Amino acid sequence: MSRTFKNSLGSIKREVVNFSRSQKFYFLIAAIAFAAILPIFLTTYVVSEVLTPMIIFAIYASSWNLLASSGQGSLGHAAFLGIGSFVSALLAIKSGVPPIIGLFLGSLLSAAIGFLIGLTCVRLKAWFLAMVTFGFSVIIVTIFTELDDFTSAVLGFPTPLIVGRGLPFYYMTFAIAVISIFTMYLVMKSKIGLAFKAIHQNELEAKMVGINTAKYRLIAFVISTFFAGLAGGLFAYSIGYIDHSVFDPYYSFLPLMMAVIGGLGTIEGPIIGSAIIVTIDKYLPRIDLILGSLIGREGLIPLFPAVSSVGPPLRMLGLGVFLIVVVIFAPKGVAPLIKKAYNYLSSSEEKPK
Amino acid sequence: MITSGLIGALLWGVVIGCIYILLATGLNIIFGVMKLVNFAHGQLLMIGAYIAFTVTTALGLNAYIAVLVAMGTVALIGVGLERFTFRRVLGADKLNEIFVSLGLIYVFENAAVLLWGNTTYQISSPLQGLQLSLGQDVAISYDMLSAILIVIVILVALFLLLKKTKIGLAMRATSQKSNASMLMGVNIEKVYIFTFALGAALAGAAGALYGILLPFNPAIGALPTIKAFAIIIIGGLGSIPGAVIGGLLYGIAENTAVYFLGATWQDAIAFALLIIVLVIRPTGILGEKGE
Repeated sequence: MSRTFKNSLGSIKREVVNFSRSQKFYFLIAAIAFAAILPIFLTTYVVSEVLTPMIIFAIYASSWNLLASSGQGSLGHAAFLGIGSFVSALLAIKSGVPPIIGLFLGSLLSAAIGFLIGLTCVRLKAWFLAMVTFGFSVIIVTIFTELDDFTSAVLGFPTPLIVGRGLPFYYMTFAIAVISIFTMYLVMKSKIGLAFKAIHQNELEAKMVGINTAKYRLIAFVISTFFAGLAGGLFAYSIGYIDHSVFDPYYSFLPLMMAVIGGLGTIEGPIIGSAIIVTIDKYLPRIDLILGSLIGREGLIPLFPAVSSVGPPLRMLGLGVFLIVVVIFAPKGVAPLIKKAYNYLSSSEEKPK
Repeated sequence: MITSGLIGALLWGVVIGCIYILLATGLNIIFGVMKLVNFAHGQLLMIGAYIAFTVTTALGLNAYIAVLVAMGTVALIGVGLERFTFRRVLGADKLNEIFVSLGLIYVFENAAVLLWGNTTYQISSPLQGLQLSLGQDVAISYDMLSAILIVIVILVALFLLLKKTKIGLAMRATSQKSNASMLMGVNIEKVYIFTFALGAALAGAAGALYGILLPFNPAIGALPTIKAFAIIIIGGLGSIPGAVIGGLLYGIAENTAVYFLGATWQDAIAFALLIIVLVIRPTGILGEKGE
């Protein structure tokens, strides 16, 4: 264990040196500067309702992506989002732990439970693992609601403030996100990440070249659930109120959608996916109003007499179609398309002569 | 309700188990032949229930004829699904199949909300309220009896189809070794479409029966998928008799557990069973052949 650890530390160090010299590094600096300056020009509503969730879900989707890069597609990540959010908020309220420390204790507990669940999952094949992780999320929400006296999960409770809402919270989340996502990047670029990739491509062959697949899959589980718990804690503080709905399967499928739509196995994929999905989430529910103004006063409502508001189901339907279309026609996600477009534009500028 | 107490729970377990058997058998056939797990299988059940409901209310058809209509329509939907979604991701990364079926869950559930609303319905059957007394305090409704009967008929027909017809032979050959059967002149694409449609039809029938026995809404599909999954793992992948035994065991176990522990634990128990089985045998009880 210690040797692999030392090895991977060495490769991480090399990776940092390489990274600071690469072109990607400047992109990263530009992106960070952009994300830091952007909120100053936006309203508080946009900052706290759109940008902050985008960043939190970027951490969450990245953590899912890390697990998926080892070939393990979890369908129960909401369990860890929920554990992180409940533990950090409950610690802050019931025992007066400072929220920021509660945040990390919550992530640690999430990782500990991730370790236990991972132990049962590491030998399972793709679809069994999907089922079992989904099952664990149902079991965990049942436990949380059964222990309602302690967790108040059924009705929920307001969470304390770490820092002021709006800009301060945005910058705190942003700093945590940069550190977390960079850590995950280093893990995925290190020898550990290479092992993940090998396992994803062909577990049997990975085993044959001497990779301890169970160990690496467990490592992926622990790292991934740690950051999922961290995202959960931030999520609880960002919405200011927490109840059992954080365990909804919706939150298990969300990081999957983000990572797959953005680009599975890449570092920028989950971030782009999170930006896309959160934007759709916040603005598309009004689609019935927009379409309504195009078609006529009544809009789509007469077409669907059974529902009172067409927007939410239509948005979810659209997300489902979007996911299927991406998986079938652009299995590497949207990120490579953006790269391609960028290359095309930059090369066509040089061409005219 | 009908009979209360433990015997009632057992009877109800058998009936619900029968519905799960249909669903599990469909999932099992698709998995056996195509090596594909369709997580949206329970959503086909839900769509089947809605189609049967629409046919009975709008056209005034008998609920048990509506079962046939639901089977046919859902089979057609299955053909479309296989042709336009699953065929394109089959055989590549297993995760892609999971992603596509998740997308389908979203599509089906929300299409159902848009078309039929978020309210709960139940199909009205001509046999409603009638029951057969089996002695003191024990009675079974005719709807439950006919559901069991229909499931038996469907399973026998399925068994004959698989064992006695040419397409059944082709399906069994494909499930053993798809490449070799392709070389022997089996049209694999045709077999896949037929298999998927057959599995979907079974889900449609299960849905119509579910709708006759229980109230339903657009969200009912998710749990039956998982239960069907648990059943084929208990009974062994690819085995129809295994699915029958697993389905009955599962239905009875679930309902007795609810009787003793209370309804809040129903779903958690389902998963606990599944997880225990998988931890002991990571590839399912009978293991998975090929691959």
